[in-house]
Amino acid sequence: MTTSLRGTAVTARVGMVLGVAVAVCFVTGLISHFIQHPQPWFWWPTQPVWLYRFTQGLHVASGIAAIPLLVVKLWSVWPKLFERPILGGVVRQLERVSILVLVASMLFQLSTGLMNIAQWYAFEFFFTTVHYAMSYVAVGAVLVHIGVKLPVIQRALSDPIGDVAQGGAVGTSRRTVLRGTWLAVGLATLVTAGQTVPLLRRVSVLAPRTGDGPQGVPVNRTAVAAGVVKSARSPDYRLTVTNGPQTKTFTVADLQAMPQTTHRLPIACVEGWSADAEWTGVVLAELVAAVGASPDSDVRMISLEPPGPYSRTVLPARHARDDATLIALKVNGETLALDHGYPCRLIAPTRPGVLQTKWLTRIEVVA
Amino acid sequence: MTAVRVMLITAGVALGCYGAVLLWDNPPVVLLRIVMWAVVGVVVHDFVFAPLCAAVGLAWRRLVPTGLQSPVAVAALCSVVLVLLAVPVYAKPGMRPDNPTVLNRDYPMGLWISLAIVWACVPLYYLLLRLLPVRQDQMVDRQGTDDVERQPPSV
Repeated sequence: MTTSLRGTAVTARVGMVLGVAVAVCFVTGLISHFIQHPQPWFWWPTQPVWLYRFTQGLHVASGIAAIPLLVVKLWSVWPKLFERPILGGVVRQLERVSILVLVASMLFQLSTGLMNIAQWYAFEFFFTTVHYAMSYVAVGAVLVHIGVKLPVIQRALSDPIGDVAQGGAVGTSRRTVLRGTWLAVGLATLVTAGQTVPLLRRVSVLAPRTGDGPQGVPVNRTAVAAGVVKSARSPDYRLTVTNGPQTKTFTVADLQAMPQTTHRLPIACVEGWSADAEWTGVVLAELVAAVGASPDSDVRMISLEPPGPYSRTVLPARHARDDATLIALKVNGETLALDHGYPCRLIAPTRPGVLQTKWLTRIEVVA
Repeated sequence: MTAVRVMLITAGVALGCYGAVLLWDNPPVVLLRIVMWAVVGVVVHDFVFAPLCAAVGLAWRRLVPTGLQSPVAVAALCSVVLVLLAVPVYAKPGMRPDNPTVLNRDYPMGLWISLAIVWACVPLYYLLLRLLPVRQDQMVDRQGTDDVERQPPSV
């Protein structure tokens, strides 16, 4: 019975859905990568404001959905590992190596991704660059695997999934295996997606975040971790805006005295959590105009945080001139908490949270 | 079809090589850690996790009555998935004292409650199957309407 349950009819069908999950995960991952490492050919819109929240939520959700799919897929083919001949000819060896690369890279991507959203860095390498590089290996291995198995896949998909015709024994059927797999995918999504889908917040018992935080917004990097507790509260704090030789400085009171705008914008983290909030502050385009810069210039955001990978970011002109892009002083009607970037932070539509620079000290118009 | 297969394999090898080139930028020590992580994943799956599942499966087929085997198998799969998802959050290994907004749930309770719900569905499913009327054309125990029992042995 084991062999009839495990047959290629199950493998091909689960494999196809797993393939879709991997493709979605890869594309959404690339989007996030190219927003953070812009290329001349890459274009990312400012509307709708929830777009990045959606693509990155999908990235994490499709990765999590791939876990039960991979478990069942590997279960369905595991006995093949011991098929004779173990080594065989060159073609067989090549196929075995390609499957080793496939399984290893998939397990690698899913395990490191799942650990990253829980901020558990037991592996001692830099997550983002390695996860990015390995994604090409995993997707490449998937393509090779589909190429090798295409005839088998076609045959298996035309096989009936019900095995009554073959006189299968009473008990668990292949149809049950498939239904069970879809159920497990649904369950995995349900218990984790609440960190980005507010409706599921209460049932997502294994989500790394509840979505709670100071002023109703979670925090990724705290003021303590960034080492800005003193400098952010200092009475000498000034926000400097420069455009070449033209420079203007603003105290917190100066910023508060400028026209204030409120927008409802999501903050969406690369780790897959997101939260909507009402941000109030000065429109960035007005500050940029105050130093006589053209609306077609990119703008560099510099944090009080000592130099590090995320202490400064460049905001593309398209986002810099958008009316929804704010230098926020308040969130949900209250002065920004220190962990949210007091005295002021950037909040722009459809950008990863890690690029929404907090504790701003300097805004430079890039020539 | 051969052309499609050749294209898929060529594109796959090219992408894989690009990934390998990107990985090659890491210093040898880090590269070793990356390879180790990948290899350990495969070994743990192929020689620990999979045999364990197979052993449990064998025992389960002896112990669980036939009528309950399907819901029990599905519940077991769901449990495995819940446990895998719980691994990085259960004991909060990534917790940092300065940030109470990450890992801010009672994960042991969440895991046990979700496991309890999954397993409570097994008898519930069994009862529903027994209590609900069998509809026309519905398959019972995977037997179609044209299934004929074997003849009893002639005495």
